[in-house]
Amino acid sequence: MRVLLVEDDPILGSAVRDQVAADGHGVDWAKRLADAGAFVRLAHYDLILLDLMLPDGRGLDFLRARRQAGDTTAVIILTARDQVSDRIAGLNAGADDYLVKPFDLAELSARLSAVARRYGGNPNPLMQIGGLTLDLAARSIVRDGHSISLTAREWALFDAFIQRPTMLLSKALLEERLYTFDSEVESNTIEVYVGRLRKKLGAEVIETVRGMGYRLGAATLAGCGKSPP
Amino acid sequence: MMHVAWPPRGSLQRRLALALTGGVMALWLLATVAAGLLLRREIDEVFDSALQEVVQRVLPLAYTEILAREADAGSDPQRIASVGAHREYITYIVRDASGRRLLQSHDADLAQFPPNPAHGFSDGPSSRLYTEIAVSGTIVVTAAERPGHRQKAVRDAIRLLAWPLVLLLPLGIAGTWVLVAVTLRPVVAFRHEIEARGSGHLAPVSVSHLPSEIAPVAEAVNALMARVRRALDAERSFTANSAHELRTPVAAALAQAQRLRAELPEGAARARTVEIESALKRLARLSEKLLQLARAEGASLIGEAPEDLVPALRLVLDDLAAEGAVAVALPPAGRFVSTLDLDAFAILARNLIENALKHGDASQPVRVALTDDGRFSVVSPGPVLEPVMLAAMTQRFVRGTTMAEGAGLGLSIVQAIAQGVGAEIAFVSPATGQAGGLEVAVRLPAATLKAG
Repeated sequence: MRVLLVEDDPILGSAVRDQVAADGHGVDWAKRLADAGAFVRLAHYDLILLDLMLPDGRGLDFLRARRQAGDTTAVIILTARDQVSDRIAGLNAGADDYLVKPFDLAELSARLSAVARRYGGNPNPLMQIGGLTLDLAARSIVRDGHSISLTAREWALFDAFIQRPTMLLSKALLEERLYTFDSEVESNTIEVYVGRLRKKLGAEVIETVRGMGYRLGAATLAGCGKSPP
Repeated sequence: MMHVAWPPRGSLQRRLALALTGGVMALWLLATVAAGLLLRREIDEVFDSALQEVVQRVLPLAYTEILAREADAGSDPQRIASVGAHREYITYIVRDASGRRLLQSHDADLAQFPPNPAHGFSDGPSSRLYTEIAVSGTIVVTAAERPGHRQKAVRDAIRLLAWPLVLLLPLGIAGTWVLVAVTLRPVVAFRHEIEARGSGHLAPVSVSHLPSEIAPVAEAVNALMARVRRALDAERSFTANSAHELRTPVAAALAQAQRLRAELPEGAARARTVEIESALKRLARLSEKLLQLARAEGASLIGEAPEDLVPALRLVLDDLAAEGAVAVALPPAGRFVSTLDLDAFAILARNLIENALKHGDASQPVRVALTDDGRFSVVSPGPVLEPVMLAAMTQRFVRGTTMAEGAGLGLSIVQAIAQGVGAEIAFVSPATGQAGGLEVAVRLPAATLKAG
């Protein structure tokens, strides 16, 4: 996923950015609402982590403005305001979840995935794709009784396919999901990661549509979306 | 609708009603007395004139009569034959120089007439007299007024004047009463308005309908409330801001510690980060509880407008869902509207449920119930508690015999909130209808829904 972090505190922000990046997501970090506004115009984000009290304005106003403009990006509010009324106001403004500071980074990761799954239309963390049994929450893959481990980057790429199982994903879109404004994209990075996924999960798992991009293999897709019995 | 009730001693209505009625009555009485005195003078004049008139009329008649009688030479005084016996208001007697009675009216009482009256008006033993001495003192005519006649006339007149007073007294009291009550109605409404917002609701009262004497008081009250409101707002924003200021660095430190733990290889250094992490979490919990306590003891426990507490309870339950099983019973209507501040209720509910989850028997669910009439109860399963334990339960930093983490502030916070809104709180063990467990029940203030 590509995640936008809006947080003005440098120490907290860097830790959150590192955590989200360690989960394999591409993270851009805006320290002001003005930056956040510029970022959302330049790139497509799957999720926004939004602090409410920023030096140049209120996060809630930013969120309301985004929602009014028709933006449906998932938003998790990160805030020091712990009152229930603040939380109700946040959810009513269009947030998908609300995390009160101080929070556990593991909880942040879990909520991030949960919100992303809900947006993907399948809140169930357990999935069966072809011969693979997936636990999205635990990030575990079992194939023929053997568990397969993916690196964060590999998982992030694979996640892009299982979020929208039937969609053809262009190389550019995959790059956008994995990378951020700060990081250089090697021209063959996506090919390298797709190659690694095929090696670990089976060659048929991802199909190449020449000149267009990649999608989940037809055989894999046959059993997609169902939870294991 | 007029609300008529006996106002308390010292009330403006009572004072005004009594003073106005009393004043009017006193003036009336004074006027009656003055009228009586005036009347008495006038009546004296009229009666005296009548007395004089009678004597002057009788004199020539008596003279003629006596001259005619001297021929007969009778010795007895002659009575004037009357047309019929009647009660005479003025009697007279005609005497000669030696005091011998020559003529008298039929009803004359001799005791009324002194033997040698002076010429003109005089007062007899009990009556008013007028005497005319004529024909060189040989004929003395004296008229007397019936004793008490004049007094009776004055008395009757005064009685007639005073009678309406007796009738008007109750009417006057009632009229003044109602009038004063109606006049004071805006003041009473003002009082009710102030009373209604005594506890935390600090919006200014309306001054427009108040009489000019009370309006400055209302304005002063409004100014005072505005000051209190500013102070409360400042306190509230301080609590909120300090929460924010405190939470962000704690969150930063905790997040960095967790990143450090994730990035360090297994070993002593990583074990240290775990300790830092748990210390930071303890710090976070403690600061949260202290801020909650500060909030609970501040006066911001009554919401500006009544709100449904059920959504807040649901959010709290969602938050605590991971910490243990909770069986919930919500009001059948699905909502409970209260004057209690939403956040204050959330803090109260969170602390009670957290406590129950922490200290209760984990094999059974905690029972949370909110009824239609605002009884909020949390039952933590477990054994029956000693009364001494129950009594010590709400003291600060008392943690019970548990090893569970916590600052021991939860119940103090709950109690501070309950006290702040005047809600009853009861600790019962065993829980009602059960063999064991601890039940904490709070009677939440219900919002009285205003018509219109």
